[in-house]
Amino acid sequence: MFELLGVPPQALFGQVLLGLINGSFYAILSLGLAVIFGLLNIINFTHGAQYMMGAFVAWMCLTYLGINYWAALLLAPLIVGATGVAIERLLLKRIAHVDHLYGLLLTFGLALIIQGLFRNAYGSSGLPYQIPAELRGGVNLGFMFLPWYRGWVVVASLIVCLATWFLIEKTKLGAYLRAATENPTLTQAFGINVPLMVTLTYGFGVALAGFAGVLAAPIYSVNPNMGADLIIVVFAVVVIGGMGSILGAIVTGFSLGLVEGLTKVFYPEASATVIFIIMVLVLLVRPAGLFGRAA
Amino acid sequence: MLTETAPAASHTAAAAPMLKVRGLEAWYGESHVLHGIDFDVAQGEVVTLLGRNGAGKTTTLKSIMGVIGKRKGSVVLEGAETIGLPSRAIARLGIGYVPEERGIYASLSVEENLMLPPRVRPGGLSLDEIFTLFPNIKERLKSQGTKLSGGEQQMLAIGRILRTGAHFLLLDEPTEGLAPVIIDQIGATIRKLKQQGYTIILVEQNFRFAATVADRHYVVEQGKVIDMIENDQLDANIDKLHGYLGV
Amino acid sequence: MKLKTFLTTTAFAALMAAPALAQQISIKAGVLNDRSGLYADLSGEGSVIAARMAVEDFKAAEKGIKVEIVSADHQNKPDVGSTIARTWYDQDGVDLILDVPTSSVALAVNQITREKNKIHINSGAASSDLSGKACSPNTVHWTYDTYALAQGTGGAMVKAGGDSWFFMTADYAFGHALERDTAAIVTKNGGKVVGAVRTPFPGTDFSSFLLQAQASKAKVIGLANAGGDTINSIKQAGEFGIVAGGQKLAGLLVFLTDVHSLGLATAQGLVLTESFYWDTNDGTRTWSDRFAKANGGKKPTMVQAGVYSGMLHYLKAVEAAKSKDSAAVMAKMKEMPTDDPLFGKGSVRADGRKMHDMYLFEVKKPGESKGPWDYYKQVSVLPAEQAFRPLAESECPLVKK
Repeated sequence: MFELLGVPPQALFGQVLLGLINGSFYAILSLGLAVIFGLLNIINFTHGAQYMMGAFVAWMCLTYLGINYWAALLLAPLIVGATGVAIERLLLKRIAHVDHLYGLLLTFGLALIIQGLFRNAYGSSGLPYQIPAELRGGVNLGFMFLPWYRGWVVVASLIVCLATWFLIEKTKLGAYLRAATENPTLTQAFGINVPLMVTLTYGFGVALAGFAGVLAAPIYSVNPNMGADLIIVVFAVVVIGGMGSILGAIVTGFSLGLVEGLTKVFYPEASATVIFIIMVLVLLVRPAGLFGRAA
Repeated sequence: MLTETAPAASHTAAAAPMLKVRGLEAWYGESHVLHGIDFDVAQGEVVTLLGRNGAGKTTTLKSIMGVIGKRKGSVVLEGAETIGLPSRAIARLGIGYVPEERGIYASLSVEENLMLPPRVRPGGLSLDEIFTLFPNIKERLKSQGTKLSGGEQQMLAIGRILRTGAHFLLLDEPTEGLAPVIIDQIGATIRKLKQQGYTIILVEQNFRFAATVADRHYVVEQGKVIDMIENDQLDANIDKLHGYLGV
Repeated sequence: MKLKTFLTTTAFAALMAAPALAQQISIKAGVLNDRSGLYADLSGEGSVIAARMAVEDFKAAEKGIKVEIVSADHQNKPDVGSTIARTWYDQDGVDLILDVPTSSVALAVNQITREKNKIHINSGAASSDLSGKACSPNTVHWTYDTYALAQGTGGAMVKAGGDSWFFMTADYAFGHALERDTAAIVTKNGGKVVGAVRTPFPGTDFSSFLLQAQASKAKVIGLANAGGDTINSIKQAGEFGIVAGGQKLAGLLVFLTDVHSLGLATAQGLVLTESFYWDTNDGTRTWSDRFAKANGGKKPTMVQAGVYSGMLHYLKAVEAAKSKDSAAVMAKMKEMPTDDPLFGKGSVRADGRKMHDMYLFEVKKPGESKGPWDYYKQVSVLPAEQAFRPLAESECPLVKK
């Protein structure tokens, strides 16, 4: 049996698969960021907090209302998305005409406030959320033990990513969205309600973050800081893929998960930094990102 | 095909104009561009705005459409004041806008560009009618919008607003940078639209082209309308016009 | 009539106050810990509550000692912690700093306290260097340390047959120290270490490392990490069927709040070492009930209990020394035996190590738990002399001949 740099091939397959699973979270989160950036030109720093809210809403649904995981998977994104709609209407709308920097500061401040509120109410060490009974256990693939739930995460996120891509690239609504992204003034002059689209788009991007949060709840600690740790990596993913590129966000999300997974085998100490190293390299060679159009 | 038999009524229709613009002022940021534009357009009329570069012609169209930062004055369309409305509501009143840069979306296919503007009134052209008018478009439906030639893009920009049922068209320099044979085709289209009862405001640098399609010409200078010339008086006023345009 | 009553009352009060005033000592204690990050639940406001309870129980006011308690958030950053410590000592007249979880911050505060000749009673930090290489005449390390954790969990697991180990180590000073101390115990007891992986800190997904640990076929996977890292690795180990596959998890630093966060379904069977558990005896139960009432129903962790115990002993030392002079108080703290309902009888050693028994606990199965916070059953007691590093092995300059 041959070994690659001291790692048996079976272990390598396992790590590749795990990388894809982590990539699923990167993909959904960076997709939401890309959609929001495209239309609103806002770097949504609240995204991590909204991901956290998704996980918390799932926990609240289960704990206070007895609503199970599957219903929460639908309900939590809707609730988180609705808070996004409120944030856009009450706050982001008012600063839409000023420099993007203000949007960045506002969303960053919001993230701190939201995290602080949850920390006050629920503490910092996290809350338990069990894997739904239907998805407990796993299957032995020969080269690794694949928990059913991890498999489900990949499937669910692929479905959501592809559905989002289809919605944006292949439907009438998506054409409105792309038109409004490219030339909002003219699109509005055709009688299309661009401000409404902006609100709904923000809500949708935020709902994607909430969805990722529900997916994460059974496998990661549900705590107020869970998004803050993840979001920095996701920003790097978006930068590598190219700001505002839908397909770029999806493909980059999955492939960087993969790269990170392999780094965890060959040089674990670098696995937290490898994405940022790639980001620097990509920015040097293609400043607009791998899939971005140069402005 | 030629419609030299323009309805004589249009001249007298000024009493109850379809569009009445009074004291229209507009700003780009801090810079005050329009200083009180006044003019009327009657139902079924083709009117051009002539003037030098930077005189305020394009800004006038944008102000009517509501796609400019700040404007004041009065723009009444069929009796309704539009100065306080957002551009999407103005569009819904039945105005179709073809911007100066044609505004073809790079991120949309030709077909998506064509289907993008929502219907605002009944009676828009069917796709077949548009393809009859502009046969080139039909063959390029799946291409990226901006992959079309300049002339095709112009046809697409006009075609897509004809679909919506808008009966009042704002065309900003539709002939700019196009080959003579394409200009002829666009001229023919405008005359055909006029024949079908469309009302059109045309911004033009090229008054020879304007003369082949318009009923009247307003001359714009430094953000004001300084003169109006009937198309049939054009020859008599040619020297004055040369003076205005600095030709 | 009213005036007369008033005058009498005033006179009486003045009489009462007179003897107290003569020997009034004012103390300002600063509770410095994580109030917003991953250690906020195990220290945080709970530690402030514990310090206040110590002042109450000591009846400081009646004994002529006026105590003011201040608190701040060091955000687990040594630079932030240092700045606060300096400001407290230099400008705010703080006499002692309590708690200080996160070893890197604790080592910084330890150094500053020595420079300023104040007192630091550490409860939250793990590094055994605080009473070792970095020991100071001004610091007492109260609740636990990496050496004791390694002795407890590491020693017990090896004795129970877990003689081959794979470490998942948080890649920073604390993780390295914990791995080092535990590996030493494992080897000393006849076990062997078959591998280790350094995981970026803080981490979210540990599945890749767990798979490497699984492939190592080690009998025990040692988690040399803390807080969110520990919670995530245990949660994900359950998911990947590590325990079901016959390997054992050793949480080398697990707090009560971590188990609360994991839930018993996930945490059951985990073996861990702590110096305090609320449900040990009547003394701990009575105190913990009072604490929980003040802390939104949450039971105390050993870190919070340690703040109480340390503050109480400090106050006793001040009373005995009739002064708050650092050298005098430290001398009294080391001279007097410690005694309180939470940690029982003990002492403070010359190197600043607080000596008390440690306990090995196993996390209950969901069926065994009678309600919230009923999480541990005691496996064994480690006498203080076994749990902590013997003075003979100490690297502390204070005890070197």
